[in-house]
Amino acid sequence: MKRFTWNKLTSRYPALFALTLLVLSVLINVILQPNMFARDTLNSNMRVFLPMVILAAGQAIVILGGGIDISVGGIVSIINTILATRVGLEGSAETMWQYVAISLLIGILAGAINGFFVAYLRLQPIITTYATSFLFAGVALFILPNPGGGIPTSISEFYRSSIPLGLPLAFYVIAIILLVWGFLRSTRYGNFLFAVGGKAQAAYETAVPVTTIQFSTYVISGLMAAISGIAITMLSGSGNAESGSAMTLNSITAVVIGGTALSGGVGGVAGPMLGAITLGFIQNIISFAHIDTWWETFAKASIIVAALAIPGVINLFRRRRP
Amino acid sequence: MTLSLSARNVVKRYEGVIALSDGNLEVNSGEVVALIGANGSGKSTMSKVINGVVVLDGGQLLLDNKPVHFASPQAAKKEGISTVFQELSLIPQMSVADNIWLTREPLDRFGRVRRKEVMARTEALIALFEGTIKPDLKPETPVSELPPDEKQIVEILKAVSFDPRLLILDEATASLDSRQVQRLFELVKKWKEEGKAIVFVSHRMEEIFRIADRYSVLRNGKTVGAGNINEITEKDLIKLMIDKESVFSYTRSESEKAEKPVCLEVNDVHADTLKGVSFYVNEGELVGIGGLRGQGQRDLLLALFGDIPFSGSIQYRGKPVHFRHPNQAMKNGFALVPGDRNREGLLYIRSILENFQLPSWARYSFPLKLGKARKDAERAGADLNLKMAGLQQPVSSLSGGNAQKVVIGKWLLRQPSLLLLDDPTKGVDVGTKAEFYALLTRLCEEGKTILFYSSDDEELIGLCDRVMVLHDGKIYAELAGSTLTHENLVAASLGVTEGGAR
Amino acid sequence: MKRIKISPPVAALFLAIVLFLLSGLLPNSYGSDVKIAISQATNIVRLAVFLGVIAAGQTLVIISGFEGIDLSAGSVVTLTAIVTYVYVNGADEKVFVALLLSLAVGAVIGLLNGAGITFLKISPFVMTLGMSGVVTGIVIILNHGNVSGKVAPIMTRLIARPISPDIPIPGAIVIWVIFGILMWLLLERTSFGKYLFAIGVNRVTAKLSGVNVTGMNLATYALAGALAGFGGFLVVGNTGVVLISLGQPFLFPSIAAVAVGGTLLSGGKGSYWGSMAGAILLTLMTSLLTTMQMPESVRRMVLGATLLVLISIYGRQRALRQ
Repeated sequence: MKRFTWNKLTSRYPALFALTLLVLSVLINVILQPNMFARDTLNSNMRVFLPMVILAAGQAIVILGGGIDISVGGIVSIINTILATRVGLEGSAETMWQYVAISLLIGILAGAINGFFVAYLRLQPIITTYATSFLFAGVALFILPNPGGGIPTSISEFYRSSIPLGLPLAFYVIAIILLVWGFLRSTRYGNFLFAVGGKAQAAYETAVPVTTIQFSTYVISGLMAAISGIAITMLSGSGNAESGSAMTLNSITAVVIGGTALSGGVGGVAGPMLGAITLGFIQNIISFAHIDTWWETFAKASIIVAALAIPGVINLFRRRRP
Repeated sequence: MTLSLSARNVVKRYEGVIALSDGNLEVNSGEVVALIGANGSGKSTMSKVINGVVVLDGGQLLLDNKPVHFASPQAAKKEGISTVFQELSLIPQMSVADNIWLTREPLDRFGRVRRKEVMARTEALIALFEGTIKPDLKPETPVSELPPDEKQIVEILKAVSFDPRLLILDEATASLDSRQVQRLFELVKKWKEEGKAIVFVSHRMEEIFRIADRYSVLRNGKTVGAGNINEITEKDLIKLMIDKESVFSYTRSESEKAEKPVCLEVNDVHADTLKGVSFYVNEGELVGIGGLRGQGQRDLLLALFGDIPFSGSIQYRGKPVHFRHPNQAMKNGFALVPGDRNREGLLYIRSILENFQLPSWARYSFPLKLGKARKDAERAGADLNLKMAGLQQPVSSLSGGNAQKVVIGKWLLRQPSLLLLDDPTKGVDVGTKAEFYALLTRLCEEGKTILFYSSDDEELIGLCDRVMVLHDGKIYAELAGSTLTHENLVAASLGVTEGGAR
Repeated sequence: MKRIKISPPVAALFLAIVLFLLSGLLPNSYGSDVKIAISQATNIVRLAVFLGVIAAGQTLVIISGFEGIDLSAGSVVTLTAIVTYVYVNGADEKVFVALLLSLAVGAVIGLLNGAGITFLKISPFVMTLGMSGVVTGIVIILNHGNVSGKVAPIMTRLIARPISPDIPIPGAIVIWVIFGILMWLLLERTSFGKYLFAIGVNRVTAKLSGVNVTGMNLATYALAGALAGFGGFLVVGNTGVVLISLGQPFLFPSIAAVAVGGTLLSGGKGSYWGSMAGAILLTLMTSLLTTMQMPESVRRMVLGATLLVLISIYGRQRALRQ
């Protein structure tokens, strides 16, 4: 009886699962890094996690709508390379904000390309966004063949140490995203999104504009990827065409541990964002656990696979129930 | 609110099969018209024509005496036509309230959904069925957590929430228990008085006589009778439904009633929709399973074949067996011709040869002796009088009847001893049907045992030694010999038992 | 779009030939010298061998349907290359065992993929992508410090050089032809092949006809891993050196090659000949880009765009309205 209620709880409130994992990983983190809750460390952690949190939010929306976006990493890379080359270390603040605006448009455009192929041409999301991921990675490499360039140090400083009203900048960004999502969720769009992700055929028969909704999720994902790209550029201060490549898998993992099913129609955005933070803490744990550097990549990748396996393992136990 | 809808001489074709050749229906405000017909009579198609899901190929649709053409189901909805379907159009992961009001949610000035109002309106709708449903049915309950009867009620509420002029109830009572049906009928009476028009598509004779004012009977795609319900008897209605002038009439010659040993013994088997069946089958018998679709027949056959888990015991030729995978059943000489040939019986884009040999490739060793495989398949095809352009052609190029021959043929190649068939002649033309009957009879004479479900009562009567009618997952009646008549079969299928135990 | 009547492998080969003839017009090309043309063409095919072998496993998993794909192929290639390199260490007599080792390592990784996909219900894309990270992690562990090893002369002899002075056909091509015939036998003349197509078309029908779908799934991914392992063995035999990124450049093209060859990305239909033709066409495209002195970024963009075009032609899913 107890397990039954747990299942019901997690399916009704998927973020609960993510929250549990987060608490666990924070606890372990604290053990390994006792000063974790010091203001500076917290600040530092948050701004490192922020790009992934933003990306996870965008990915969550696509996945809720029944699709998936493998090209987010590529979009992040494009934004990073554009900012690093067009603004440059010597650039002015105005140029920076100009290109921030342009980056957002590029993100929307990239998302629209994905959305066109998946929603209007009705191609499979996985293979389509895999193809565009390669295309986008090529564009990023074209813009910046070798790591270099950067953004004005004043801006990266702003990102690093800005604490309006005593809270790190990252908190505000996350809060804004959650507020916007909360609003969307409360509108018809929110219902449409879950309907399309849940059972597209039934949604279609109920006159939900399935194609438009699917298209919109990819545009949103592209936009979020662009914002994430801006954040990561501010974090690193420099340009690298590969900056986004590892982020795609992480964003998917964040969604999975965030309790949003990859099949769509179930979950939310808060869970995946929590999942991104959890992933960040777990990666911290690995760094602080003094594992041989050579083993780090293996450890991190194994954690990802383990995280991806969790829903499947839980399901296996569920099925054993008579 | 007044409405009058007329469908006249409607024709509808689906990929070469004629579903309706002369469909007629008339319904006006304030009355309930029952649309009646056997499985495959065109009933479902008729209701789909009226609510805009399919486009008619011929004939006319008049709404309020004006010709009308529905471009989509939404167009029909705009005219006030709302339907409660058999196949659920709900989104399982979403709540009851969200499902009902999807695309019509009341909004505030920011575009946000007025949740309080949605909840209140949904509760008012749910209250219509108060007393007949469990208290777990709340506006915020996800549909996936509901049992089938409550899912059906949500479907009804969804259709009613449109405040339609014409409400089509297409087999809407199939999953409901007797109290819920009673409540639904009380609501229908109220809606009639409010001036709504109602089309009631159903099999259930008892319900039809309780609620309908007029009737319209379809048979083989044609409307063969219509009138006031109080001017006709049950018996005559059944006669209208039955095809007396069938193109063929097939009856098996009475076989010698020699004592044959028990071949298959089934004891208290439970699985999915199967709620405990026990029966036995003798060697060489042709036993039929009857009843409305969805009463457990499919699950019975799948359980026997090892495709779904089940509890209970099965004995085959004296040995207890419990198959966990079809290939175990196959090793014991079982074969299953499934109910949906495109989704379960065929590899649609592959060649006829590959479809024939799919269960049997292991016999042709390595490297596959394709030549021998072709010869065997050709022979099997010839035995079945299969009309094809060549074994290399994709099986999608075959007509329904011929495709079904491939499904049967792939099993006959293996010389099975026990054949399970799930509605094998569904969607098959009359000529091929006759060939199948001859085939099944011959197989029985050769000593094979056959257990098959059919939604066509004539088949069951003509072919079977015995017929077990399933209802609500249990065997409701067993008919044989003199009791195996058409009237009894139809009555057993239609005479729903009062109140399924829950 | 109307279904294309020419069989895709033939179309791909035809396109390759046309492209090759056109390339003769480029400067630095063979001009009108037939001898050089043949030698260049042979070289292209020889280069294509490696992509072709790696695409073999990809062909199998894609045919098996259910959105099958193997993104771990690239990292498996790298891993087995290193394993071979280190183990052989220049000794001819160790080559055969090294080959078996490569197959075994690949098979184990493939089996893990298959297990995650079948039992934990993780989608093939996500599972193999995650596994690819784990395998790369292993590669890094093995590679730390410098790996010392050497390819055995017999490998170079067989793979990189012509089989005999009189016949100017490189050994690699001969190996590939034999491999192609074996793949054909597997797909068209064994029960395994028939079952593979069956589960790719319709798993329900397959199961109801007695096919052990679970077993087939596991076997397919294991086999795909083993074939990638074979690819790694060949690659290192050809190049003689190992890099961490040895296998990665083959991954995306391997999928594109399968798609070019006409194997339906939804499964159930296809052939290895198609993938071979696809490998040749893609290798030719890459080689031409290099001749035209296009940077890596352009190669990526072209590949990404090519796959997009291909799936737009071949991969439309059923429309919502029926």
